[in-house]
Amino acid sequence: MSRLAALKNDMEGCSRCSLCKWIPMAQIKSWRFAKVCPSVDRYNFHAFSGGGKMIIANSILEGRSELNEAISEIIYKCQLCGACQVSCQAYRDDIDLADVLLALRAKCVEEGLILPEHQFMIDSMKREDNTLGMQKCDRGKWADGLDLVDVNTQEVDVLFHAGCRFSYDEDLRDSVRNWVVLLRNSGADVGIAGKEEACCGGRAFEIGYQGEMRNYAEDMASRVRASGAKLLVTPCSDCYYTFKYLYPKNGLDLGVKILHTTEYADSLIKENKLRPKKNVPMRVTYHDPCHLGRRGEIYKSGWSGDNKLLRPVKFKQTGNMGIFDPPRNIINSIPGMDFVEMERIREYSWCCGAGGGVYEAYPEFASWTAKDRIVEAKATGAEAIVTACPWCERVFNDEIEESGEDMKVYDVIDILAMSMEGK
Amino acid sequence: MKLLPKDMYGELENVLGENNISQEPGVLDGYAWQPIFSLTAQKWIPRPAAVALPETTEDVQAIVKICNKYGVKFKAHSTGWAAWGGPSEEGELQIDLRRMNKIIELDEKNKYAVVEPYVCCGQLQAEAMKVGLNCHIIGAGPNTSILASTTSGWGYGGTGLSTGYGGRNPLGVEWVLPDGEVLKLGSPGCNAGWFSGDGPGPGLRGIMRGFSGTQGSLGVFTKCAIKLYPWYGPKEPKVDGVLMDVQTEVPETEKMFWIVAPSFEKFADLAYKIGNAEIAYWFCRSPLNAGIDLFIPRAGDRIFESKALRTMFKAFEHLGVALLSSESKREVEYQEKVLRKITLETGCILLDLTKTPGYGFWWWTMGVRSILTALTFRAGGDFLTSYGSPMEYDNAIKQAEVAMKVKQKFIDEDYFKDDMSDIGWGGIYEGTANWGHCETAAMFDRRDGRAEGRQRYLEESAESTVEHTLGLGLSNLPPGAWKIYGPKLFNYHLWQAKIKKAFDPNSTGDEEWYVPSIDEIQT
Repeated sequence: MSRLAALKNDMEGCSRCSLCKWIPMAQIKSWRFAKVCPSVDRYNFHAFSGGGKMIIANSILEGRSELNEAISEIIYKCQLCGACQVSCQAYRDDIDLADVLLALRAKCVEEGLILPEHQFMIDSMKREDNTLGMQKCDRGKWADGLDLVDVNTQEVDVLFHAGCRFSYDEDLRDSVRNWVVLLRNSGADVGIAGKEEACCGGRAFEIGYQGEMRNYAEDMASRVRASGAKLLVTPCSDCYYTFKYLYPKNGLDLGVKILHTTEYADSLIKENKLRPKKNVPMRVTYHDPCHLGRRGEIYKSGWSGDNKLLRPVKFKQTGNMGIFDPPRNIINSIPGMDFVEMERIREYSWCCGAGGGVYEAYPEFASWTAKDRIVEAKATGAEAIVTACPWCERVFNDEIEESGEDMKVYDVIDILAMSMEGK
Repeated sequence: MKLLPKDMYGELENVLGENNISQEPGVLDGYAWQPIFSLTAQKWIPRPAAVALPETTEDVQAIVKICNKYGVKFKAHSTGWAAWGGPSEEGELQIDLRRMNKIIELDEKNKYAVVEPYVCCGQLQAEAMKVGLNCHIIGAGPNTSILASTTSGWGYGGTGLSTGYGGRNPLGVEWVLPDGEVLKLGSPGCNAGWFSGDGPGPGLRGIMRGFSGTQGSLGVFTKCAIKLYPWYGPKEPKVDGVLMDVQTEVPETEKMFWIVAPSFEKFADLAYKIGNAEIAYWFCRSPLNAGIDLFIPRAGDRIFESKALRTMFKAFEHLGVALLSSESKREVEYQEKVLRKITLETGCILLDLTKTPGYGFWWWTMGVRSILTALTFRAGGDFLTSYGSPMEYDNAIKQAEVAMKVKQKFIDEDYFKDDMSDIGWGGIYEGTANWGHCETAAMFDRRDGRAEGRQRYLEESAESTVEHTLGLGLSNLPPGAWKIYGPKLFNYHLWQAKIKKAFDPNSTGDEEWYVPSIDEIQT
């Protein structure tokens, strides 16, 4: 049975309530910021919603309609942000909406409905081990001059995995360098794989090349083993989601504890090993990256069965066990920070627009989605959006540059660095 | 698959732009999946020939005129939940109103809001609260269109005691008739603002929606002024959590109680006394066994296997929930005193929820935002509702009693989940009016392919309302309900059929959930 066919019962459970289009009803605070699905909010036909895509999947399985270019466009005009699943699963125990969305993409690839921009990503991964079309030999350049331990030659306790975007995006270089320096200064025995680091494979999985991820996971696992690391730390939300959710869901185990850098820094602050001291007078808000927040929730393994109505609720991926508090704790630990929340936060956060291959294939839609978030951030009176994902930072910065909006974008480490002595 | 005439599609495309109309089969199937209130053995309802996304009243008007020109039927929906929002036969045009999504005006002083079709109840409530006002949210929940329930449907919300029901709340209305003419009802009809539904200006509320609404079968409502009511709670409540984990602080002027009555009759007496005393903001029958199915459905399966536990829960069968709310602490204290007196007089038991842990959950999810209904899907994946005539409350309660017996037969035959049969839900409307609503839900898994039994239940429940003189069960109304009820209720359907002919001379509006034109009935 195909992945899609295995989910038919989920699809047929849809009552078409459209809750997948809204933030959870308990949280609606205004007319303006009540919507949660960028896809249906931008393109309007029901087919663009989470529920609508489940109906499409069911229609295809029943031979009522064909998977063609027009339908694959609907399937790919979606950031896979997972907000629809959160709103659906608040009420439903028997529908794994996000799984249907992923299975639809796998079906698109099987049927040869491949977007050229995604093909470019896959080709780049195969050739250069990254999604961005950059050269593999340049991957470790971000760390030039830091004199970090190379795990290819020396064992370490902590392996720092930068991820594709942080490795190559020069605008974000200070952030990734500051993260690894923070780890080292905290006393961690930390190392990097440099140019030997490869993509986690999560993006390949999301755009439908699900078999590809296994190669990268096995490569990652062997690198972790060889490094002797007991802890894997990454500043990239996408990689974090891949390690914490996609790998175990697909039976892949890295055999190491995994932390996002914000979790690591938060624990240092709690243990008094890190003390932000300098006043940083700034009104900021925090954007929850989808892949660190609701989709960063660890894969809840341990149940199998055909009838999900009988599945204990502890196995539902509700999204509320993602990483929400550590970045907020860090912000709140910085003297002078005036932290304000947006309306759509935590597991019902609005997406930045970059995920699911949208940034590459439909940049106008990615910008449109980012713009909505920037409007929401401005409504709080914040002068800056702080976030914890290089993809979010990239798309926000692009949109701000394009529109001329008066808003700054920082990674959590950027403001932490401002508050550290000697910075 | 039926398509629209090519020229017609082109004309629609010219009006809407190519991105706002589609005839892609996969897209159209998004409008052919409507499980709610579709209890036939067919999983899909008829697929429309195309779907159109208007943005303005002028767009809607143009679409409807084009439909008339080509003799193609149309069906419009707003948030689009339930089979009545979709076409009843292939070849129709689906109008999806989701681009018409604005709150045009919120008049704090005169207590109304003018909304477009895709504003959901939750959005309007959030904005209304900011100025100390609230709206009626039907039991289906805040994800539904407030314009749709007000202009076109039926349904009761727990605040019915203080906010009436949908049909009581339309003021001025903008209506694109089935022939494409725009009619403004009430005060907007003479450019006097939106404050009144009956005049100055034409007052045709009875025709527009009558008792139960026409489920979108008599044109398209493009704007509606919704009556708003006082809200005494916080203007911007701070709520944590998504649903089951909701927590919030509740002001001391918002008090909630569970009240258990010893019998159906005493429950009705309790409700009358609450209404006549003009206390409480919210009052609704909510049996405990229904709560088990909502909150712990898997545990419920085991609980209901136990005779001892069934007996225990039976003791809470006639459970109601009351919310007292006021600007003033003294007023709430007064209301509580009265409620306690009434409880004693009717032999009921009162439990002060305010003092229980997690009170904020109940207050916000049930008493304010009305978000628990959709939890009924947890039990089996689907549910239906039945009975629910708005009428004298003791008669409404009698419906729950009759429903219990009819439904039990179908539980015994395994068509519905065992929920101890009685989950009659509903309360009284508008204080001293003494009328109310009680509908009976039933939960099931539609994927078991046994639709026929559920269809039979609806028919039997409709027959039982006639047999026991319980009034028109609005929740029983399947397509073509006029065939059952019309001859038994003074041939009301013939009047409606004449209205249909007058307003829709070409029978362009899909009439499946209303009545056909008088010409068609007489032939």
